Amino acid sequence: MRRPRITSRSLPGFPLWDKAKVTRLPLSFDLELTARCNNNCRHCCINLPAGDSAAKAQEMEFGFIMDIADQAISMGALWCLLTGGEPLLRRDFAEIYLGLRKKGLLVSVFTNAALVGEEEAELFRAYPPRHMEVSVYGVTKESFERVTRTPGSFAAFRKGLDRLLKAGIKVRFKTMAVRSNLLELPAIADYCRARTSQVFRFDPLIHLRVDGDRARNEDIKGERLTAQEIVALERSDPERFGALERNCDSLILPGRGASGCRHLLYCGAGQASFAVTWDSRFSLCLSLRHPDCLYDLRQGSLSLRQAWKDFSPHVLALQSGKADFLQKCGGCSIINLCLWCPAHAHLETGELDKPVDYFCEVAQARFRALQEAVRGGKKDQFS
Amino acid sequence: MTMPTKKDFLQPKHNGYYSISENVVSREIEGEIILVPLVSGMGNLEDELYTLNESGKAIWKRLDGKRDLQTIAVELAAEYNAPPGEIEEDVLGLARELLERGMLVEVQKD
Repeated sequence: MRRPRITSRSLPGFPLWDKAKVTRLPLSFDLELTARCNNNCRHCCINLPAGDSAAKAQEMEFGFIMDIADQAISMGALWCLLTGGEPLLRRDFAEIYLGLRKKGLLVSVFTNAALVGEEEAELFRAYPPRHMEVSVYGVTKESFERVTRTPGSFAAFRKGLDRLLKAGIKVRFKTMAVRSNLLELPAIADYCRARTSQVFRFDPLIHLRVDGDRARNEDIKGERLTAQEIVALERSDPERFGALERNCDSLILPGRGASGCRHLLYCGAGQASFAVTWDSRFSLCLSLRHPDCLYDLRQGSLSLRQAWKDFSPHVLALQSGKADFLQKCGGCSIINLCLWCPAHAHLETGELDKPVDYFCEVAQARFRALQEAVRGGKKDQFS
Repeated sequence: MTMPTKKDFLQPKHNGYYSISENVVSREIEGEIILVPLVSGMGNLEDELYTLNESGKAIWKRLDGKRDLQTIAVELAAEYNAPPGEIEEDVLGLARELLERGMLVEVQKD
């Protein structure tokens, strides 16, 4: 008998991820607890009003969520992300969170922090999440509420964030880089970095509404930065641009065009993860809302295990033979610099395989910036 | 009289009964035992999960509060055809580590 050992590991370093690359294994899943939000952000893809009773009535019930979790755990799930909308808007959030933790899941939470009261902070202190990702929209009341369009949201955010930090919770920050807060982004970065040793990231790539709301989509388009602005922003952040430079080899795939692959999904969704939308629909990721890619777990007869095993292979096998797709996205060597994926294409155009000009412009601009930065040493890569 | 220190409480007794703490959830995925801490303070904050090797697994599965550590060692010595003294050392060693991490609790027997 060999000497018994207990070994500690971080989740990303866990050997089961390698196993999942070979045999599909759902190690993680995203649960969208609600489509409602207490804020009304201009750029957001899912934020129905907090008091939307029709939406509330369609949300998954506590028992249904626990059943999903039990099935996911029996299939090997280790990690669950709770998101929304604003997940803390649900009155039974604490029960859901604790229920999932006690089942042996690591749980992460995406939140705007505004609804974190003393009780929630105590819950997270006693049963720590893997991490909490808090969205920061600005560092002044004016800029913050220009984005959220919700009076009082800045004060609520600060109070909630203070409670999380005082409780010693691992807080990560994220900000969406949009037109309404563009000038304040350096101050937002300073604000976040002063408050966490964890990750701070900004995201300038915003996609359209999951409900296809046309008026709200126009708001989102109005908040998008130009390709040049996005590149300038990335170049001004050594951490982010450095990561792009370091990962050039895996981001740029010169041989991709010759592969002749017609498959739509190339990102790895459905290999080690899945998602369940707020209204109980199984998907390979929360952005993927095309009806052919969703399976309603409440209405349908398939269990979660069957949806994973029998339904998702059909989604993974989706292909396109359209010349436009094959010429532009299908064989594009810089697709990893692009926001394009079938899910985002569907949100933009209604089709899973249609190129999106704006995404293409951004990807090309990022490619040129990288080309300039690594000019010389990695010439072959850019030929 | 010397007062017992925290360290004394973390020394497993060979005739003590122990079971898994409620502060940790044990999962078995693809044949691996994975320990998921529920509360903080079980180790380095960046380490989120724990795994056991094969012999650790064999001991862990017997930590049910119904048999003492010595009995566990005897069972394992027979199963692995190994010297009981050596096995008992191993059982006590793992129990100590688990106690220190708060993953094991002593069960009081009447």
